[in-house]
Amino acid sequence: MSAPPYSCLVVEDSPMMRQLLVLALSRVKNLRVTEADDGVDGLRKLAGGKFDIIITDINMPIMDGLKLVKRVRTDPTHKDVPIIIITTEGSSEDRKRALELGANAYITKPIQAPQVIAKVKELLKIEG
Amino acid sequence: MSEKKGRGSRKSDRPAAAVAAELKEKRDAFLQSFFKRGAELSDELMEENRRLREQMGRIEAENTELKTQLASDRAIRDLLKKIDHLEREKSRLLSTVSEQEEITGQISGRFAQVESDLESFANLYVASFQLHLSLRLRTVLRHIKELLQQLVGARSLAIYFADEDGRRLVPIASEGVELASVAPVLLHDGAAGDPVSAVIERTFLTAVPHITDGPVASVPAACIPLQIEERTVGAIVVFDLLAQKAQFVTVDRELFKLLGAHAGATLVAAYLYTSGDGRLPAPEALRSLVG
Repeated sequence: MSAPPYSCLVVEDSPMMRQLLVLALSRVKNLRVTEADDGVDGLRKLAGGKFDIIITDINMPIMDGLKLVKRVRTDPTHKDVPIIIITTEGSSEDRKRALELGANAYITKPIQAPQVIAKVKELLKIEG
Repeated sequence: MSEKKGRGSRKSDRPAAAVAAELKEKRDAFLQSFFKRGAELSDELMEENRRLREQMGRIEAENTELKTQLASDRAIRDLLKKIDHLEREKSRLLSTVSEQEEITGQISGRFAQVESDLESFANLYVASFQLHLSLRLRTVLRHIKELLQQLVGARSLAIYFADEDGRRLVPIASEGVELASVAPVLLHDGAAGDPVSAVIERTFLTAVPHITDGPVASVPAACIPLQIEERTVGAIVVFDLLAQKAQFVTVDRELFKLLGAHAGATLVAAYLYTSGDGRLPAPEALRSLVG
């Protein structure tokens, strides 16, 4: 009997970054990935399902990652879901703000697949 | 004979009763002495017997002790044998552990290599996918810049294209630096004005990529010639990298190879497609070109 699948929401406006993240996450067993273009799309996807972890970029059009983190933390269904934010080198203030708002971890661009996989496994408490 | 007679006669002179009493006395003395001696002998024998028993007891005790010691010696010998056996087993196990550690090290190394290869393939797949995803010039340029920023970690970069007569390289797009501030690079004059221009000129003319080995400390960090078949048509210049990106890694070099071989052709195709407003060639036109 296989372990119950985990569900991950990737919120990223860059198709390239999304593709990279999805490819990296495809190496985590029992992890189902759902993609969202921006914060609003992310909230829409969250409303339509239950997720175990969220990975979101900070800088996005329509609704940025900070607003998304804030909204998720006030959503009764997903308030405890671990959130990983993706930041750039010069955005230490955004990073700090996101962590204050309730994000659990951050990854700095350029992202590396092993780093993403390790962080997701750590937060989902997946061994191996 | 006469003396004998004489003594006999004296003896016989004593009364028989006295003689008998004397004899009885002597007999009693003898018997008393005999029994006394017998009793003494008995005592001596008993004493001897006791000593012998004691001696036998000691000997038996010694014997038991010796037997115990012998058994103990055997046990020690057995234990020594066991220790020797265990020592050999320990050596064998240590040797096995050592072999296993070596194998584990090899597997870990192989695993790290596979991880690195996987990341390389994933990045190249994404780069190739994104590079050819669109034929709109603006989108293609954006994708190339994004690839360099997101995958390589470029902080500032520019894309140059050679002019028609091949006398200079003109910047057509940039990121992290204003395009207006990026000067064209003159070619074939042999005297480039500054070190950056000299690297770009040399890269274009020789078609040999310039990629900094080790920590990036000078500008440009990398310069990649853009080629269409054997023809060099431009260059991608990465001026510097993000702070967290200290140096180029294998996958970056592979990505540079991909861009060097494909980006030029993609830009030209995108230019033709965009300038033709997305109009596709007629099948006859395609056939006439290959026929």
